[in-house]
Amino acid sequence: MKVKMISRNPDNYVRETKLQQHKIPRNYDPALHPLEGPREYVRALNATKLDRVFAKPFICNLSGHRDGVACFGKHPKLLSTMATGAYDGEVRIWDLANRTSMRSFVAHDGFVRGMAYAKNGNCLFTVGDDKTIKVWASKQPEEGEEESPVNTILSRHLLHGISHNRKDNSFATCGEVCAIWDEEHNDPIKTLKWGVDTLHTISYNPVETNVLACCASDRSIILYDQREAQPLRKVVLTMKSNKLAWNPMEAFNFTVANEDCNLYTFDTRKLSAPLKVHFDHVSAVTDVDYSPTGKEFVTASYDKTVRIYHAHQSHSRDIYHTKRMQHVVCIAWSLDNRYIFSGSDEMNIRMWKANASEKLGVIRPRERANFNYQEAIKEKYAAHPQIKRIARHRQVPRHVLNAQRKMRAVKDKELLKEANVRKHSKKGKVPFVSEKKKHVLRQDV
Amino acid sequence: MSDDEEPYNPKAHQKLLQAINNLGSAQSIGKYTRDERQQQQNEFQLVKTHKGVDQSSKGVGFNDLVQILRTSKHIETGKKLKNVYSTKKVLQKPLEKPVADRIKRTIGYEGVKKKLGRWDAVVAKQRSAETQIFPIPTETIYVNTAAHAHALKTSIKSDLGKELEASNQKLRELRKARIGDTTDEKQLVQQEKELLQKKMTRDEMLARRRELAYIRMRASQKSAKARMQNKIKSKKYHKLQKRQKILEQMKEFEVLQKTNPEAALEKLNALEKSRVLERASLRHKNTGTWAKNLQVRAKYDKDVRKDLAEQLAVSRQLTEKQLDTDSEDEQTAIKLKEIDQEDNDPFNPWTKLKNAPKLQAQENGDNTNWRKYWIERNSNEKLVAEHYAELDAAVLEKKINNENIEKKKKIKPVKKKKSKVRVENGWVVEKISNSSDKACSLDDIFEKHQEKIRERLSKKLEKLKKITKDQNQSIQKEKKAKKKPNELKNLEDLTFKNKKQRVEIDEPLNNDLIPQLIDEVSNTKAMLQTNECTTSSIIDPNKVTTITWKQSMRSTDALNDALGEDEDVELADVDAAAEHQLTISQAFEDDDIVADFNKDKSKDSEVKNSDLQLAMPGWGSWAGAGMSEELIHRRNQRLLLKLAAPEQRRDDNKDNLYINETTSKQARAHMVSSIPFPFKSLADYEASIRAPIGRNFVPETAFRMLTRPSVITRKGQVIEPMDESELVKPDRKLRHVVDRRIKRLQAAQKAKIA
Repeated sequence: MKVKMISRNPDNYVRETKLQQHKIPRNYDPALHPLEGPREYVRALNATKLDRVFAKPFICNLSGHRDGVACFGKHPKLLSTMATGAYDGEVRIWDLANRTSMRSFVAHDGFVRGMAYAKNGNCLFTVGDDKTIKVWASKQPEEGEEESPVNTILSRHLLHGISHNRKDNSFATCGEVCAIWDEEHNDPIKTLKWGVDTLHTISYNPVETNVLACCASDRSIILYDQREAQPLRKVVLTMKSNKLAWNPMEAFNFTVANEDCNLYTFDTRKLSAPLKVHFDHVSAVTDVDYSPTGKEFVTASYDKTVRIYHAHQSHSRDIYHTKRMQHVVCIAWSLDNRYIFSGSDEMNIRMWKANASEKLGVIRPRERANFNYQEAIKEKYAAHPQIKRIARHRQVPRHVLNAQRKMRAVKDKELLKEANVRKHSKKGKVPFVSEKKKHVLRQDV
Repeated sequence: MSDDEEPYNPKAHQKLLQAINNLGSAQSIGKYTRDERQQQQNEFQLVKTHKGVDQSSKGVGFNDLVQILRTSKHIETGKKLKNVYSTKKVLQKPLEKPVADRIKRTIGYEGVKKKLGRWDAVVAKQRSAETQIFPIPTETIYVNTAAHAHALKTSIKSDLGKELEASNQKLRELRKARIGDTTDEKQLVQQEKELLQKKMTRDEMLARRRELAYIRMRASQKSAKARMQNKIKSKKYHKLQKRQKILEQMKEFEVLQKTNPEAALEKLNALEKSRVLERASLRHKNTGTWAKNLQVRAKYDKDVRKDLAEQLAVSRQLTEKQLDTDSEDEQTAIKLKEIDQEDNDPFNPWTKLKNAPKLQAQENGDNTNWRKYWIERNSNEKLVAEHYAELDAAVLEKKINNENIEKKKKIKPVKKKKSKVRVENGWVVEKISNSSDKACSLDDIFEKHQEKIRERLSKKLEKLKKITKDQNQSIQKEKKAKKKPNELKNLEDLTFKNKKQRVEIDEPLNNDLIPQLIDEVSNTKAMLQTNECTTSSIIDPNKVTTITWKQSMRSTDALNDALGEDEDVELADVDAAAEHQLTISQAFEDDDIVADFNKDKSKDSEVKNSDLQLAMPGWGSWAGAGMSEELIHRRNQRLLLKLAAPEQRRDDNKDNLYINETTSKQARAHMVSSIPFPFKSLADYEASIRAPIGRNFVPETAFRMLTRPSVITRKGQVIEPMDESELVKPDRKLRHVVDRRIKRLQAAQKAKIA
């Protein structure tokens, strides 16, 4: 029998342009590819392994501060600029592309408690332990000129944090009271108080810019509207919340970093229980920041690790740590969704990749297509046990592992005890309470 | 002593007493008066007005003012004031501050809730989007392009075109001249035009109008008739009509066969096609309402069961593949067989491929035969059972009659005995004990039956009552549950199902210690991993996606429950196991599971035991035809590859056991054991896994579409938070080719559905 074949030998044909690629004729009839399933599976397995091989998230270390790093300020327009404040009152402004510090000046006596760029990034507001709000120009002073604040506002109350409105010229500070300020005035436009002695974080909603939220030392989260004369609502959790971050794409969701090793994502409209409890940290969570896509967030913890979570999942997808990194105090996700910055007690600022195995630098289209394919098959076969095992395997420091074991033991013990109590008491007397509902004590109106 | 004492002074004493008396009532601090505006108010001015103090100290009242006005010349104003005072109500005392604040807070919170609720739709859309692009593309900018547009050139034909036309015309004329055609084209055209423009006479017009009107009337009549006929629901009518149609068609066909055989053949083809269509549809599958209604009664009614079976038989008849029995075909088949026998070459896949479908067909035939056999057997047994039952009943009647004649007067108290129930091939056969009915008269029997019926009825009523009660309770509970407002209801309602489901793994990471030293342990680990690699490369393709579905176990139980629900009360005393068996055997009336099972087993072993014939056609017969049969046979014997003696199956002697020997332990480690989270059914998950997405298996565009990442960001661009313009933005104009293609596909699908 004669078998006719379509012959497309590239030697016999002249390309029309040099960019034209020779087409490889393919027959996609599935009958001719009996092993397509296993082949893809093996590819997925290899892709996952390569992903773990290339997972080197640490990029660089920005050193220069002479005391622990206390807070970050992300520039709203420039990706390569970031401001950081330290425990000794020093503020540094970094050129991230060159990994150097452009400016440094002592802004406050004592801690720099918080900092925020104005809406277009032309000035930087810092608050410190010395009860002052200082305004710094973003432009570098000329040589020979001394660094000096554009404006210094003396506050009547202690200050613990600052947040700037994304759309207009107002900003808000917290401390003893929550105060709303205008950039042009030296007195607060409004002070909002609800019987709490200290509010230690404040955060404006980036989408509905009139709404803001504070975390207070009485374990509560308080919601405000900057146009209202009164606060809106208060939720009291079982432990103190350290930081609060709003989801930049879902106006009504926010996440709080709590002292009890968990994070809680709330819907503003339903504060009776969190939407999701995010576990996995083994010590107090100190800071949280959303990715600009609103799909993920990154957390800093007292357990010397940084974790990355999907916004709607309760377990972390990745953990970052280095041997020398101490208690992580502040964290920031860069506005192009590519990098993560962590500031820790031991004076260093670290730069990480948001996606641990991502290739930096130029990616050609064919390479991009291949990466996309790898991602797709990894996702497709994610539930297969071997792939899951490799993809989710992480090496963690010993102290984390030990703490995890301890926490597991405690939790198991509690569960067992509860089960025993339930077994020996009247039916329905010891109700099943979901994990979500355990952490919200009450909602004050 | 008396000198030291003060003399008693009555006045002073009186004063002291008064002072003491006043101590409780009067306030030591005088009233605070303000003479300047102040922001801060002194707390001492907030003294209570004393109750005991009489009217005069209260200050000026409204009535006093009116009184004064009345005495003066402003009587009118006084009246007005009084009027106002009597008609208008005084404002209520303001609420206490904490309460007022609380109200303000709730109002503020409600407002914010409402404001945030606006984002529900946008967020829901974003969440379910297959791919999201960041930064979110901003609003479209409209530019007046008309201002820069060039004026349209008015001449449509170019100069060249005109010249061409002219030359063509010339050519045509030249050709005409050569042929000798003298007709003028222009004249012809004019004639045509004139003919068209010719006016009709009045009569013609009228006739034409009448004709048109008649046609219109007929059309409307026909349509009305058709509509009426369509509305007829009578099954009988439709049946008759169908029969009539078929008859007509038959007649037509007969006529055609004689006159125009070709057309007849076409007609035959059309008939065949309609039969095929019916085959493809689900007719006569007992899925219609009629069949469903009957199925309910099928349990109790024999006739109904028969009807249903008939219906099924019809469907079987329809769906059976017709075998062509023409003599020519037979001959070709024989020839093919011969060819097959010659060509059974184990190393040439092409010859084998030809045979394969035939073999399959044969197998199918076997299958149907086998099924037929079982159906026949079942029905035979049924008939036998029925016959026996009838016989028994006849005997019983005779006996009753005899006994009634013999012992008419003696009536014994009757003890009820549980009748033994035997299950025979799906039928409950109840042996009726003769002794119990020995002394009963017909009336007694009737009474007994009536009582039974009454009992049953009462039981059923009670059950119904219970059910209704439960339902009421559940409804009340639901109502209670409904009272709880769900703030996120809107968002939940707006979310739509993700088109491309992805596995979500929400588990803690598998943590492990950081390796301190690279030592032998890690080396061995690496070795192990490589081993795993090798095992992974020899995975059985079919096993990668096989999963056990936990819920499938329950489905049969549910079926049984549904079937046996009504009978719970009636069959309470019947053995439960027997009942169970009954329902299962009813459910699988048509087919025998055990035989099926054994067949599978034997088939497996057959595959193993087959010998391989290595003789190839033509091989060894170089000298051509004429070799002795014996020689060929001997050679073939020699070339028969005898395989090792078949291994015994592990489940050879165990009837009810089937051990799958083809599974491998290594592959098991790679298989998914349960359905991952967002998927709800095994079918969904399998479908998501089954379709390949690689370049080698799907076309390039499909590959691009399937591997599109869910989040696309651009390097060096700031991603701004969601903007208010998203709320009112129209659909984005898609720039990417793939996006556009996807949208077009979706639109096409929608159109198909609608």
